[in-house]
Amino acid sequence: MASLTRNVFLSLGRTNVSGLGIKEITNRVTYATALFANSTSRNKGLPDRGGRGSVGRRPRREPGEPRTEKMPLDQDWTSVYPSATSFKSNAVPLPVRMGYPVKRGVPPEKKGNLELVKIPNFLHLTPAAIKKHCEALKPFCTEWPSALDTDAKCDEHFPIKVESTDYVCAGPSVRNPSARIVHLKVKLSHFNLDDHARKKMLKLVGERYCKDSDILSITTDSCPLRQQNYEYAKYLLTVLYHESWKIEAWEAKKTAADMEEYSWEDSLSQKNMLDTLLRMKVAGEGEDAEVRKQLLEREEVQDYKDSVVRLKNEGASESSMLQYKEAVRKVLNV
Amino acid sequence: MAASLSSSGSARLMTALARSSVLYNSFESRSLHVTAVCCKNQAARIRIGKGDKPLTYEQAHHPHQIAHRKGWLSQHTSNLKGVEGAAERTVEDVFIRRFMFGTFHGCLANEVVIKRRGNMLVVCALMLQKLPPQKFYFLIGYSESLLSHFYKCPVKLDIQTLQDKAVYKYL
Repeated sequence: MASLTRNVFLSLGRTNVSGLGIKEITNRVTYATALFANSTSRNKGLPDRGGRGSVGRRPRREPGEPRTEKMPLDQDWTSVYPSATSFKSNAVPLPVRMGYPVKRGVPPEKKGNLELVKIPNFLHLTPAAIKKHCEALKPFCTEWPSALDTDAKCDEHFPIKVESTDYVCAGPSVRNPSARIVHLKVKLSHFNLDDHARKKMLKLVGERYCKDSDILSITTDSCPLRQQNYEYAKYLLTVLYHESWKIEAWEAKKTAADMEEYSWEDSLSQKNMLDTLLRMKVAGEGEDAEVRKQLLEREEVQDYKDSVVRLKNEGASESSMLQYKEAVRKVLNV
Repeated sequence: MAASLSSSGSARLMTALARSSVLYNSFESRSLHVTAVCCKNQAARIRIGKGDKPLTYEQAHHPHQIAHRKGWLSQHTSNLKGVEGAAERTVEDVFIRRFMFGTFHGCLANEVVIKRRGNMLVVCALMLQKLPPQKFYFLIGYSESLLSHFYKCPVKLDIQTLQDKAVYKYL
């Protein structure tokens, strides 16, 4: 094989270089053959290294001992695991074992153990590391204002509470469309509203008001960005307040059916009660209007009025029905 | 003779049918072929043999041992309620496993573990010391840059090398 190639090269040398002297030709030939001879001899000498691919001129380095052997006892662990990384058996000096043992055996050791790599570890969050994190964050923090030490004071000075959620998930994108939702909560007692304004505000707001806690909650999600939703919520609050103070012309047409609460004055119940009493001839004879006024001031009639108002506003319950029963009994002297 | 006559007759009938009918797609009738069901699981199981095959912990345990004796090879939040993108993460995982198998050919000692921390992809692998360290470093850098350009997110490779595979049992 080598001889053949040598011949080929010799012939090439002679044909290509015609002008030069013979010395150069022979030099070139020897250089070429020398190269080939080297390569072929190497191939013959080490046939089992074919798997390595390239001709490895440097001898293979032996793997050194694991780093755990060289670790002093008082080393700085925060520099071994400064951030979250997978478990490295060469870098953790603990004799950890993990896995289901073979029959009459022990759990497999940490070297080459994939189970230890799979689980999340907190080797980068030792107390010393957390102390360092806190020290690094301290220059960016400010003290909580000492005047705001109770919840009540916080509510008093900052009555409007805005809530929004940030979402974290494992994936290439950090965007989440649900992060744009903004909740704005405020207690209506903080606003100065007179009777008409309060009633109008409650009518405008509808279901967003909770009677038990006196909290108005506005939720906005119609805009694509959180900042836009926040500004929209603030705008809504402002508009609600100003609109509830305005009195429009058509509000004068408010009927009894529009009223939020039941009022006994000038109602059917009052008329019926007075008619009944007049028929019973409880009071003495006199002018109609005066008699009515006197009747109204009577204690039983007031009781009746309270019970009816309670029934109508709060609904039928045991105690309210009992109260109504007692009131009716007293009025009718039964 | 009789047979040949009948066959020719049937052939004529068939051709007549073929010419006349438009609905028939094939000449023979169609039927459902059912083979007997083999009620046996064979996913990711290496069956007991002579006793000379070395197995790692991962190979020795069957898939029903996941969450019992085995952990998960890939972790991400997309399988939680209300989080989307589970299918995309799975496809990414499959591609990354094939990519690692091919790039570090013959060097993988065990399965590839994929973790996702925020938008960062962390690929953990245990390798055998078959290549010189310079080649390892080159391949690691190459994989990291290629994968991060491909997935548009930071990709980190956590490689550990071993002398030889950690054998759990021989089957």
